Amino acid sequence: MGLAEEVRGLSQAVLTLDKATIRFGGLFAVRDVSFSIQSGDLFGLIGPNGAGKTTCFNLITGVYKPTAGVVKFGDTVLNGQAPNRICEMGIARTFQNIRLFSSMSALENVVVAGSLRQKSSFISALSYLPSAIKETGEIRARALELLKVMDLEDIADVRSCDLPYGKQRRLEIARAMATDPTLLLLDEPAAGMNPQESEQLMRTVRRIRDEFGKTVLLIEHDMKFVMNLCERIVVLDHGVEIASGGPAEIRNNPKVIEAYLGEAV
Amino acid sequence: MSFWIRRLASIALAVGGCFLIDWFAKENLKDFIVRLVVLAALYITLAVSLNLINGITGQFSIGHAAFYQVGAYAAGLATVTFYKSQPLGLALWIPLMMLVGGVTASVAGLVVGLPSLRLRGDYLAIVTLGFGEIIRIVTQNLKVVGAASGMAVEPKMSTPMIWLAWLLAITSIAVCRNLLQTAHGLGFLAVREDEIASSAMGVNVTRTKVAAFVLGSAFAGMAGGFLAHYEGFLIPTMFTMDVSFIILTMVVLGGSGSVTGSVIAAILLSTLPEFLRDIQQISMAGLVAAAISIIAGVVAVRYVSQHVHTPSTRRIAYPGAIIGSIILTVVLSKVLAFIPTLANASTDGSRIRLVIFAVTLVVLMLVRPQGLLGHREFGWGSLRRSEA
Repeated sequence: MGLAEEVRGLSQAVLTLDKATIRFGGLFAVRDVSFSIQSGDLFGLIGPNGAGKTTCFNLITGVYKPTAGVVKFGDTVLNGQAPNRICEMGIARTFQNIRLFSSMSALENVVVAGSLRQKSSFISALSYLPSAIKETGEIRARALELLKVMDLEDIADVRSCDLPYGKQRRLEIARAMATDPTLLLLDEPAAGMNPQESEQLMRTVRRIRDEFGKTVLLIEHDMKFVMNLCERIVVLDHGVEIASGGPAEIRNNPKVIEAYLGEAV
Repeated sequence: MSFWIRRLASIALAVGGCFLIDWFAKENLKDFIVRLVVLAALYITLAVSLNLINGITGQFSIGHAAFYQVGAYAAGLATVTFYKSQPLGLALWIPLMMLVGGVTASVAGLVVGLPSLRLRGDYLAIVTLGFGEIIRIVTQNLKVVGAASGMAVEPKMSTPMIWLAWLLAITSIAVCRNLLQTAHGLGFLAVREDEIASSAMGVNVTRTKVAAFVLGSAFAGMAGGFLAHYEGFLIPTMFTMDVSFIILTMVVLGGSGSVTGSVIAAILLSTLPEFLRDIQQISMAGLVAAAISIIAGVVAVRYVSQHVHTPSTRRIAYPGAIIGSIILTVVLSKVLAFIPTLANASTDGSRIRLVIFAVTLVVLMLVRPQGLLGHREFGWGSLRRSEA
């Protein structure tokens, strides 16, 4: 066992779902899902359409409140916390249907997220005091840095809705990174990307984990992407967890094959 | 250190500018124009503060006159009740009362801001509209403030404190500008763009919306406090729904979200109908010619914006249409003058001023649906770059 894995094995769970359930009327969108993510994991959440993956994300980030079960971030219970509080604690996400601040520039998008932990007060911003100016400058500089990491520095001033799709996806990741999260949730980051772009994205996500030390949980449809990138995978189908384990296990799991390809005749 | 020197200098410049306007207006302008100068400042304050709620934070509020009224009545009532029993002079008392108006209105803003947390778009519009009406009807029936027959605010200012009105306007502009220059302000814009995404990025959407309402209504209330002592008389009919709509029109016309746009539109809309009063003897031939040319101009601009894609042509669309319609007006008026019924008839500006006002709005919205400045700002660079 290498040192890195040993450290990972010892470290405590970053995120724990314990029998998390959400029901809309009579429909269980997510039912009794339990898994835990260790610090430094590259964790995949997969499943066919309508399996409840994005609902799971919404559960974690506070968009929905679980009907039953517990979502824990470290030792803190997240049930019922407001999305902005959860973000402040250190969970940031991207969206499946891109939700950038469309009429704002790429840089401004990142600055909004980067101002999460700013210290200067609202009053000092209204009166344009040196502290607010200085801090805005710092946030702006950090945002530019992040754009550089995501290879977007050349479009910093372009309105985000004018960007091509692949860049919008990367900008969403940069924006999420700007909140300086412990855990990064990526909702189909490679959707709509061509093979080269998704190859490059894979490298970027790995870099986010290795260089920036983030734990990553991602939803993805592109099997090649998930199997190559993720070290641990959970498979959902109809809101229920049907398998979990490493890529090789998942690939050969008959339940997973059934869920994706339909029942064997 | 140099920061504080620059800051003090700019404040001194602003205050000096206000007194310069004051001095110039009183020395050179007719009373009725002085009144317009004051009203323009008040409307700038109102438009800029509504723009903060409506354009910048994206909360569709159309009851801004209510905050104006709350501020006016609170300040008026305080003056009537307390002025005689305190030592301050009027020059100090009035700014103080403006603050009272501002604080009272911001409490009202808080009350309206709270439902805004659950309501969006048209639903919020209905609530704010209802709130505006409630305030007006309540004052109409409240004996303490004179009910429907109004309330005299004694003492009122002896000469119009034009500088104070402009100082308020400049302060409101400065506050909005400061906000947009810092990271805090981008959070407000983010709430306008996408609430779910901004809360997922850690923006406290609740606090942002309430802050916008409180701050916006505070400025409206201060404008109200000024108005109370400027007019010396308050009556509920001064704050009807059309006041709210005029302020909203200023925001939309200037370009939602653009502070400078609101300022330009506020000056334009608060003074234009009054200046039109002065125009005598408009010949019917000219009027008909102008109407035809305006329609032609609008059609041309619309055609270019929808069907022509060569950049060079698009660029000259606006100036071309304006110059074209002017030329067409002159030519047509000469031609139409041959028709005796048109040549002999004439009208006054005062009779058709509201028609001209309405036509101006319709034309502007047809040719520039995004408002005069769109989302852009005029003159400031740095964080917010102009957007095409």
